[in-house]
Amino acid sequence: MARYLVVYTVVHQPHRLKVPAQPIPAGATPADIERCLFDRALDRRYLGQVAAKCYRPAVALFHDLVQDGFRLNIGFSETLLDQLAAWDRPVLEGFKSLVRQPGVELIGVEPEHSFVFYLDLQRFIRGLRAYRQRLEKGFGVPVAVTDTTEMFMGSDLYFAVARAGFRGAVMDGRPWVMDWRRSTHVYHHGLPLRLLCRHTELSDDVGYRFSDRHWSGFPLMAPTYADWVAACAGDFVFVGWDFETFGEHHWADSGIFDFMRALPGELRRRGVEFLTASEALDRFGAGAHDLPLPAFNATWAGDGGVGFFLGNPVQQAIFQLMHHAYNQALLTDDPRLVQIAVRLMQSDTLHMTQWFGRSDDQAQVSAYFTPREWWPLGPDGIVWHLQQVYKNFIAACGPAAVAAATRRATGGESGDDGAAIEAGPPPRGTRPPAEGGRTVSPRRAVRPRGRAAPPAGQ
Amino acid sequence: MAATAQDAVFAVLCFEGPDRYSLAGGLGSRVAGLTEALAGAGAQTHLYFIGDPEAPGMESRADGRLVLHRWAQWISRYYPHGVYEGEMQKLYDFSETVPGDLVEAVVRPAVAQGRRVFLLAEDWHTAEVLCRCSDALHWAGLRRHATLVWNANNPMGFERINWGRLGFVSNLTTVSRYMKHYMWGLGCNPMVIPNGIPAALLETPASDDVRRLRAALRGGPDTPALVKVARWDPDKRWIMAVQAIADLRGAGVRARLVAKGGIEAHQAEVLDRARGLGLRVGDVTVGDRPTARRLAEALRAAGDADVINLRGFLPAPVLQALYAAGDAVLANSGMEPFGLVGLEAMAAGALVFTGATGEDYARGLRNAVVLETDDPGEIVRYWLQLQRRPDLLARIREGARATAAEYSWPAVIEILMHRLDYLAANTGR
Repeated sequence: MARYLVVYTVVHQPHRLKVPAQPIPAGATPADIERCLFDRALDRRYLGQVAAKCYRPAVALFHDLVQDGFRLNIGFSETLLDQLAAWDRPVLEGFKSLVRQPGVELIGVEPEHSFVFYLDLQRFIRGLRAYRQRLEKGFGVPVAVTDTTEMFMGSDLYFAVARAGFRGAVMDGRPWVMDWRRSTHVYHHGLPLRLLCRHTELSDDVGYRFSDRHWSGFPLMAPTYADWVAACAGDFVFVGWDFETFGEHHWADSGIFDFMRALPGELRRRGVEFLTASEALDRFGAGAHDLPLPAFNATWAGDGGVGFFLGNPVQQAIFQLMHHAYNQALLTDDPRLVQIAVRLMQSDTLHMTQWFGRSDDQAQVSAYFTPREWWPLGPDGIVWHLQQVYKNFIAACGPAAVAAATRRATGGESGDDGAAIEAGPPPRGTRPPAEGGRTVSPRRAVRPRGRAAPPAGQ
Repeated sequence: MAATAQDAVFAVLCFEGPDRYSLAGGLGSRVAGLTEALAGAGAQTHLYFIGDPEAPGMESRADGRLVLHRWAQWISRYYPHGVYEGEMQKLYDFSETVPGDLVEAVVRPAVAQGRRVFLLAEDWHTAEVLCRCSDALHWAGLRRHATLVWNANNPMGFERINWGRLGFVSNLTTVSRYMKHYMWGLGCNPMVIPNGIPAALLETPASDDVRRLRAALRGGPDTPALVKVARWDPDKRWIMAVQAIADLRGAGVRARLVAKGGIEAHQAEVLDRARGLGLRVGDVTVGDRPTARRLAEALRAAGDADVINLRGFLPAPVLQALYAAGDAVLANSGMEPFGLVGLEAMAAGALVFTGATGEDYARGLRNAVVLETDDPGEIVRYWLQLQRRPDLLARIREGARATAAEYSWPAVIEILMHRLDYLAANTGR
């Protein structure tokens, strides 16, 4: 029976695209181009709401729990940290304080929450490394284990993460990946990099089904869940959740905070203790088992395959536009434009169009996470404008691409593509914030329960 | 009158405005005059417009009663050639960002002071933003404190407007009975509130300026100088004007045309036609800060040109002097929603040839010559007849100035306040 529980949460907010698409002035600077592409006011509005409902109370909750011996692993996207730095420093400081507690391990992630690993694996590797440095500097703690984007993992990603220099990585323990193996052991794929495999069922019991009144396990109480964990065969159970599970995906009145507060005691009564990711690797890493990783990536979203993000024609079209935007930006030799193109690759945009042409549960989740402010445009309007954002960017890069080509033709400054890659953070937009709106954290296909119905068709 | 200007706060939304950057036609003059007059009448007035990117973002005038909000300046910096360059980019920003600012910076403070707010939006560019202002006011719980008015100065962009939505959230107005009838065809019944002119235009132009310009124009009964100020647009009937010049010359009158157009492409067609008719065309470029003296010097430099094509910006005082110096002003548009140029020229005491559409102020041979056709011969016949009737000419000029006074902004504001009082009390919009 498993005697340990490893809990991982990741905190993320996206850079939402500006919809309807804002036409970009001819000759606009990269800063103004970015201002036209991303809706900072919308981001700020949602951040404020998520902070109130989730970040503040959940940070306090976990702060209390770790004082009492609980272990927490936590990751932050760079987009989230940037938004907190801009608009909610107290919450940022709260997270920093939490991370510095004994028993809390900081986990790396792909900073932009992007699909860059599909387009440019070298940039992905550099991004992981650079972000690790930023995290270690900003939080003052080491980072040894990393997540990717949406917990994507496959054969190539394994080797990429290993090359980035991490000791361990997390992945989702989907049955189609694990085959006959249990997710409750440490694995490897031929290199020293160790893999912690998320227990899909037990993770989704909390992250997905907790407030589902139609679920046979409802209402899920801490003793029951502790029984399930303790009954698992293997070395340890690794569960992974959005941090927003606490107060946002499941509102406070669902009992999620009470559940989490009671869980450590119930687990201890059953002989289950807690580990950080590195502690799990210390304890079980030496005996890691070989795991043949698939050529197709696995993810913790949807059904566990990339189909959740690229399963419909609209997503595929946007994915193509991500490619074109990135390639066009590379041809400008302008690192600021390249950085914007990477930001345009964020997986959230594909998540927010998963509903197109579908009406199942996952589509409802996707529609729910699509900003309410977009829906007056209608489904076709949203799709059209999302694509237009990319087209506008590609067009706006045109003059810079011409200038770069001219420079190269005349033997002037010729900076190779790699030079652009090492750019610093892009300039920020300056639009004033707006008020109102609704709290969402559009990321995983976690069905929100205990809240108003998704606004599909608004 | 239940509502007075002092009790109200006005927010005017318009693409054009008082900055030179923002002046493209009559609309900029209108909102400049309207907002100055509202502030002059004691109303706290805000004007949101696409302002000069190099000017301050906000500027107070009239002892703080008029506040200019120069919007989208960060976009305008990419488009130095005026308000309509980068139109779609500016339109997006205007529609997206004005409502939030307006609600918090204008409406909420006004309501806190117990004042009623009137949102006056001008032309198609502001139809969407006005609807969004209504939504934003509802969201803020302030909608019942505001009366929304959308005014059509011309039918441009009508095809872009969601009339059902706009009519639901706002009261529709327009500037002439002609426009009212035009809009009936769209299922609307707008209220007519006439356009106005600044009271300053009623002051007689400086006699020295007029004399200098007359000398430069070498006008007179046998060598008349006819002035035409309009966009290069077929609706303005420029071809009719140059044909009339040619016909007058054919009738032995050595007429010349002083043409002040915009930057529109129709210019080439008009000037080509003039050359084709045997008229000599001379271009005259006025400097950055033209005065009547400088304009006179420039006109002299045009030599014997039959059509003097004036390029550059002419400020209102210089224009008024030019109208007064000319022997007549051709405001002979084929379609004119109101015809502000004609009224401005009448204020200068000019003999004005107007069209016969939206020029409600024009009464044939009482204060103007009202042209009913696009036949250049109509201009020629009237000209020749009037040369034989100096008494009638004098009466027309006198009537022109009297009529113009009735349309000065202070007078129009009085009408406006009555209309707004009715709308605020009865329509709930």
